[in-house]
This record gives sequence, C-alpha cells and structure tokens, in this order.
Amino acid sequence: MPAQATSTDAASRPDFIQVDQFSFHYGPKQALFDIHMDIPEHQVTALIGPSGCGKSTLLRNLNRMNDLIEGVRHEGDIRIGGTSLYDPSVEVISLRKRVGMVFQKYNPFAKSIYENVVFSLRVAGRGRKTELDETVERALTDAALWDEVKDRLHDSAFGLSGGQQQRLCIARAIANQPEILLMDEPCAALDPLATLRIEDLIIGLKQRYTIVIVTHNMEQATRCSDRTAFLYMGKLVEYGPTLAMFERPKEPQTEAYITGRFS
Amino acid sequence: MHPQPNAPDPKRFEVSRATLWFDRFMGWAIRFGGIGVIIAVFGIFYFIGKEVVPLFRAADVEPAGKLEAPAAATGVLGIDEWGELPFFYQAGGPVAFRPVAGGDGFELEVPGLEGAEVTATAYDPVHRRVALGLADGRVGSFLVEYARSHGDDAEVSAKVTPEPWFPLKSGAGPVTAVSYGDSGGGRIIVAKRGAGPDATTTVLRLAMKRGLIGAGKLTALGEVEITTELGAEPLILRASQNGSMVLAACANGEIDYFLANGAEVTKRQSFSPFDGEVPRQMDYLFGGVSIIVTGPGGEQEQWSLFRESEDAERMFGLTQTFPPLGDGDVLFAASQRNRTFLTGAGGHLSIRHSTSGKTRWEGEAEIAPAAAVLDGKGEHFLVVSASGEARRYSVEDPHPEAGWKAFFGKVWYEGGSGPVYQWQSTGGSDDFEPKLSLMPLIFGSLKGTAYALLFSVPVALLAAVFSAAFLPLSVKRIVKPTMEIMSSLPSVVLGFLAGLWLAPILETRVPSVMAMLIAVPASALVMGFAWCRLPIRFRNRFANGSEWMMVVPVLALAGWLGWQAGPLIESIFFVYQDPATGREIADFRLWWPQATGLSFEQRNSLVLGFMMGFAVIPVIFTIAEDALSNVPKSLTAASSALGANRWQVVWTVMLPVASSGIFSALMIGFGRAVGETMIMVMATGNTPVTEWNIFNGMRTLSANIAVELPEAPVGSTHYRTLFLGAVVLFLMTFVMNTVAEVLRQRLREKNKIV
Repeated sequence: MPAQATSTDAASRPDFIQVDQFSFHYGPKQALFDIHMDIPEHQVTALIGPSGCGKSTLLRNLNRMNDLIEGVRHEGDIRIGGTSLYDPSVEVISLRKRVGMVFQKYNPFAKSIYENVVFSLRVAGRGRKTELDETVERALTDAALWDEVKDRLHDSAFGLSGGQQQRLCIARAIANQPEILLMDEPCAALDPLATLRIEDLIIGLKQRYTIVIVTHNMEQATRCSDRTAFLYMGKLVEYGPTLAMFERPKEPQTEAYITGRFS
Repeated sequence: MHPQPNAPDPKRFEVSRATLWFDRFMGWAIRFGGIGVIIAVFGIFYFIGKEVVPLFRAADVEPAGKLEAPAAATGVLGIDEWGELPFFYQAGGPVAFRPVAGGDGFELEVPGLEGAEVTATAYDPVHRRVALGLADGRVGSFLVEYARSHGDDAEVSAKVTPEPWFPLKSGAGPVTAVSYGDSGGGRIIVAKRGAGPDATTTVLRLAMKRGLIGAGKLTALGEVEITTELGAEPLILRASQNGSMVLAACANGEIDYFLANGAEVTKRQSFSPFDGEVPRQMDYLFGGVSIIVTGPGGEQEQWSLFRESEDAERMFGLTQTFPPLGDGDVLFAASQRNRTFLTGAGGHLSIRHSTSGKTRWEGEAEIAPAAAVLDGKGEHFLVVSASGEARRYSVEDPHPEAGWKAFFGKVWYEGGSGPVYQWQSTGGSDDFEPKLSLMPLIFGSLKGTAYALLFSVPVALLAAVFSAAFLPLSVKRIVKPTMEIMSSLPSVVLGFLAGLWLAPILETRVPSVMAMLIAVPASALVMGFAWCRLPIRFRNRFANGSEWMMVVPVLALAGWLGWQAGPLIESIFFVYQDPATGREIADFRLWWPQATGLSFEQRNSLVLGFMMGFAVIPVIFTIAEDALSNVPKSLTAASSALGANRWQVVWTVMLPVASSGIFSALMIGFGRAVGETMIMVMATGNTPVTEWNIFNGMRTLSANIAVELPEAPVGSTHYRTLFLGAVVLFLMTFVMNTVAEVLRQRLREKNKIV
C-alpha cells in the first residue's frame, strides 16, 4: 500500500461530513436505509458495493443533486462542518459551490477548455480577466493538465482525449475551490493508463479537498483511498480504514464482495 | 450414404425461402415508393411550370394567307369579330367585302349616298361605324353589321345600314375631318369644315329619342363650335368611342382636350407632347382614357387621363414611351380586348402593350402596308397596301399584360397617378385592366407571417424553456399533450373564430389588449424580482418547480386587471376629437386613424397574430421542448453541480446545445405561418395593402390562391398568375428553409456533443 494512503492530516476534522441515520426514497422505492457514517476532512473516502447498492445515491445526496429528481424524500440528516444540508437557510446553489462533483462519464461543455474551467466562476458572477486566468492555470495545474493544454486553452474541449477530458472535468470542479470533491466512478470510462493518472491526481488533491469517491474497482479503492465504506442493498455494511478493511473484513458480506464472490 | 456425424448441416445456415421472398418484395416495394415520390414531385413541378411558363412568352405572329383588296384601298379597313370577312371602303365607293377563306367577295352600296361627294371618313372598330363627312357640309355615318350563321359551315354575312344625315350649320365648305363618339344614348360627331386658318370645328350632339313603338330616332340636340378655343387649325380630330370627349391635334403642335358633358363642351386642357411639332398620329386605346401619339421623329408616347392628386381634375399626362417608329405613314390599330395595339411605319410592324411599354412582337410586313386592322378577339390582323394587296396574320398572344415587370415591378396603370405595385385581378367592366403585381401579396405573406411569429415565437419558446427546465414532470405530462392537441385544431375553425368572434371583441378592446400585453409580462418580472428578495428560509419551503402554482394566479390577475383597465386607458390616452363638432370621444378606433393617418380595420393583424398563435405555438413549442428536453442530463447535471441556478443551466448549457433543434422549430413554425391559408382568408380582410400597420389586414399569396382560383378561367392570365403566386410562395419557403438549414448545421457543428 502506498504510504500516503494511510497518512492522516493532523488538522483534519474526523467528522467533517456526518451522515446521520440517513434514509432516502425514490418515490415508493427506498434506496438508502439508516446510513450512519462520519467522513473525515482531507481524506479520500471510497464508497464500494455492487451495482444498485446505493453508493451513488449516497454520493449524490452530499450535494443534494438528487433534489433534481421528482418524488424523492429523505429521513435523517447530513451535516457538513456541523451544518445540516437540509437546514431551511441553506441555499442549494451555494451548497453546490462548496461541494464539487466529477461524473462517471466525462462531460465537458461544448465550449473551449478555458471556458469549461471558469464555468463555475462565470455562473457565480466572477468574471475578472486576471482572476479567471489565474484560476485556469491553478485548476489545470492541480488537475495535472496544464502542461498538456496550456497552448490551446481556447480550443474546443472535445479535442482532448478521454482521460484529458476527465481531468478537465476535475479541473472544472475544483476551479471554484470547493471544500469537498465528490467523484462518481471517475475512471469508469477510461483506459488503465488514464485511470492511473487520475488516481495519482486524487491522492495529490486530498491535501486540499475532502474527497468522496464511488468506485467499482477494488484496486482503485486500495490504491487511493484512506477509508472505505461497503454498501449493500442500501445499507452500510462496513466502514473503516481501507487497509484494515481489505486485509481483515469484519463482515462476511464484505469479505465475499472484496474477494470477488459477488459483484 | 450417411452424413458424417460431425459435419455441419448446411440446411441450418440457409435463410428460409419466406424470409428471402419477403425481403425481396419489401426491397422492391420501398424502391417503387421512393421513385414514385420523386416522380410525383417532378410531376407537380412540371404541371406548375406548364401553367406558368406561357406567361413569359412573347407574341407569336404567323402569316395566315393573302387576299385581293380593291385597288387603292386607302380608306377604311374593318373586320368582323370572327376575323373572316374584312371590308374595304374607299370614299364614295361601295363597301367591298373579301372573305379571308378565299373566293369572290361582294360589294354593297351605301344607301342614301347617291350623288354625294364624301370628303372625310373615320372608322370606329367597336361599333363598326364609318363616319362620313360630305362636301356639302353634311355629316353622317353608316354601320357595317355582321351576322354569323350557326352550324358546321358557319358563314358570316354582312349588311350596310345607313344612319341619318345632319347638315352642319356653322362653317362653310366641305367637311374635311370627322369623328364619331357613341355612348349608346348620347352621341357626338366632331367635324371640321374647310382647311387652313379659316377652318371651323364643330361638335354636334345627337341623342337617340326612344319612341313608344319601334326603334328610336336619332335627332340633333345642338351644335357647339369650338374653333376659337383651339390653338390652331386642327389636323387630327378624335371623339372618344363613348362620346365623352374630343381631342384635337392642332397645327401648332398642341393637343386640345374637350370634355363633352351634357349640352356643354368645355376645353379642359391643352398639352404639347412634341414641343410644338404636330403628331403624325393620334388614336385612342381600348377603354378610351389613353391615347397613343406618334411624333414627327417617330417617337411614340402614351398619354392618359389621371388625377395628379386626389382633388384634382382628370388631365392627360405622359405615362409611357415606346421605341421610336421609322419614317412613313404611321399605322395604328388598337385591340378591342386589352391594351395592346398594332403599329408601324414604313413596312415595319410591331405589336405593343401600352401598360408595360413592351413590344410584344415586331417584324417586317411582306407588303408596304397602308392600313391595318385587328379583329375583335385579337387573334388576327390584316394589313393592306396602297395597291390593294392585303395580308392576313394570325397572332398568338394570350398574355400581353404578363411579364416580369407586371408581376414584380412598379407599373403605371391607366388612370393611376404614378407607377404602383397593385393587385386587382378582376373588375366590373369589359375595359377593366387587370393589375397583377405579386408584390402586395408577397408583402402580405411576409406581414402575416411576421405578425404571427411576433406573437407566437416568444410565447412558444419561453413556454418550451419553462416546460423543459422549470416545470415538474407531473405537470409537464399534462401540459405537453395538451399543447400537441392544440396543433390539431382545424385552421378553418380557428379562422372562423378569429373572423367572427375574436375580431369583433378585439375591435372595441384594443387598449385592454395593450394593457394586458404590458401587464402580464411585467407582473411575471415583478414576481420574479420579489421572489428573489424573499428570505431563503421561506423560499426553501417550496419545492423546485412548484412556482407555477404561485405564478399562474398572479398572471391571471394581471391579465384581468389589464383587460378591465382598458376603457380607463382609452378615456385618458385615446380621445378622438371630431373635427366637425369638436366633440371628444374616447374610442381607439377613431383615435388611431386621426393620430397616425393609418386605417383601422376590424379584421387586422392583431387578430391574426392571436389566432395564428394557436396554429403556430404548438408546433414551435413541441419541437423546441423536445430539443431542450433532449439535452443530455450529464450536461445539465454538470452545470448544476458547478453551482449554476436553473436559469443559468438553461442559458449556458441547454440553449446552446438545443439551439439547432430550436432553430428547426422556428423554421417549421415559419413554414406553417407562411403556408397557412384559412386563418388568413377569414381573419385578415384580404385587402392587398402594402403597409405594416398592425390595425389593418393583408392579402397573402396563399389566401389569394384560395379566394381567386375558383373564379379564374382556366388558361387565362389570371389563372396562370395564381400559379405563379404558388411558385413564388414555394420559392420563398424554399430559400428561407435552405438558408435556415445552413445556419442550423453551423449551430449544430458549433455546439455538438461528442
């Protein structure tokens, strides 16, 4: 295991994100049952589990993206830094500025690389040229893309390779410097080489962001996450430090899953 | 032989015969269908082209035989309306008839002319009357009357009927020029006696007094001498065929125009077309309000009666010039159905159309013509030389009034005060000249489309955005099919409602409509602004998408208030002051013409815009909504996750990606609006005006075809022009759609998602 995967930031709050007895329903169908977990700051937390286990639902609730779907309801609470996401004074727009998100399939806008990166600044009404330029360089550097695209910032984002497009999406998500970065299977559509680069990037990014990543890939979880949560049928089966969980799973279901007996 | 156990069974890999047959059948069926469609489309083009192309053909003139006229037939040349039995009349001699089919002619004496010396003749081809002036100062006339037997070998027979003689009281010496005008009841004869400075010119008024039994008796009512009013000795005298005016071309180059009205003959105008030089020829055109004059240098001009301004008298003015004629005696024969005439000099002949100024045909005659005549249908003309040789020509010119200029250019029609774009295809009288400019109709189509789109595009697009991005799915499931049902409303029902129900309501409530148009969008904006100012704790109580429940009552209230406020607004801002009494009336219908000088019609573009909305909005809405809804969720989600609010998601992501689809929606809406017929027919009043005034109507190409095609005789200019209108309509939509498709492809390329 890489050394940094187990290291913990001294300043990090261990209960930065508190998922508190959280249940979630899509209309009549319940997707999450009483999830209770604390996600520490400046660490990478992986959510694993078989398809349909609710890991993406949980992730998408962390920035209330599920609100866009009609007929959803929830019980329990999710708090970030002690503030409930469902507090009546919370504006969803500003919540999403705090909690960035990277999707499974890279989805740049039909704009230039530059405009993709500064999108979040533009919609926030921040359009000063110098600020935008600085943001682009910083975000692309952080996303390990700057050297590859610095000469063609104003070309279409679609000219990039798949891995580059996904890194552009990461740059786009961190341009506005959110506190939390949610990643929904960010490497699912990428080849192994591009996947490795993204994983390196994730490890580098956790110094500044709290990262929650959904993955199907066990190796990926072990390679880049500090903690892992295993969900099965909408329930949190096991949650703990990645290394411990993969070496000595407490629950038989976890063991069965990570050893590949079901997926 | 047993098959080897492991060898593949070839039968398993065979496709069943039924599948093959079906495949082959469907292949041919689809091929047949596709080729059939292509053939059908080209068939339509062929048919429309066949109807339209003859409009642009020049006249076709072919020699159609020769005949021997009596020698030195330089007098009167006339023909029957079937063009079969021309006659030649030489002063003092008999009337000689010569059948064009060949064979011997016959000659008829003019009764009552024995011993008299004929010194002046004139021929009126409409009444087939030869006016005569005698050396003893009498004037009179005879008619050449034709009759045609029915049956297979129809023969034309003729007789000569003399009319009474009238001795002129004034002047002395032989009658040297004569002309006859006949309106049926009242008639005039204008005659000149003597020659040189002592010549006298007299207008003799006649009337047909109807007795109780039998035909009436033609009696002289009185004589008016006009010699002193003429600028100089008259060289050409022409009474109009309807007897309402006299024109005299004088030796000083002046043409004097006299109006014969009841007992009075008054000089109205004196004009000099050729700067003091005497015209070589002066004759009326069909209809009797225009003359063609030829100047000494061969320059040929049309002068018409028209009003310079609305309250001015009708005076002659130059309206058309033609290519100059050569030297020699000027021939002239006017058509008796349209504004064409046959003219020429020195053996060169041409058929010209006065309104368009175009030469329909020109060519050399085989003989040196001294006189010419066109038959009643304009299908033949006859020229005769001084030596008595006559040549007959057939003329094929069914559409002389057509042409690029007539359809798309400004044309100075007879009686008008200047060149105009005008559509007026049929009129009340025989001498009505059709005005076939397509420009008012093209304008009408554009105006109708513009107003329809002006109302429906904003509504449809905003509704599509609202439905795609703001409305909860459960409401959208009701709204969208409802809109789609709206598009299936028959347009004849919409037109009926527009013309008979909506138009009378809107007529009196224009200020209310204006107030609503301002109040409803304004209330939505105010509401949005107020909503943003509310505390987040309050706003968070409402789920995203449920805002419509609050907006709809506010909009309804604003609409109602606007409607109710109309009369109040009218009484403040739209007060009409009656110029006669000074009384003030609060009525928009009266105020609008007074304030703007534009007309106010009940069936106007406002009504049309509203009703066309019902036809166009569903089309645009449905397609635009689909385009917006089909924007990949991954993009809208990415945008939302980056902190964009719903409007920003729409503006930055959905609209660019859906732009090509929205563009298609607009083009299909445009196509629907341009081609829409029944609403246009019933709601617009169908006046071919060319102004953008919202409070009057228009006549569109499509409505014009629907209204007029049933009344247009097949093969007529009018009929073919309606087909031309269809071609123009097709080209308009074709060009628009092509341009739009190119733009759409560009948009798509720019915003495509890989």
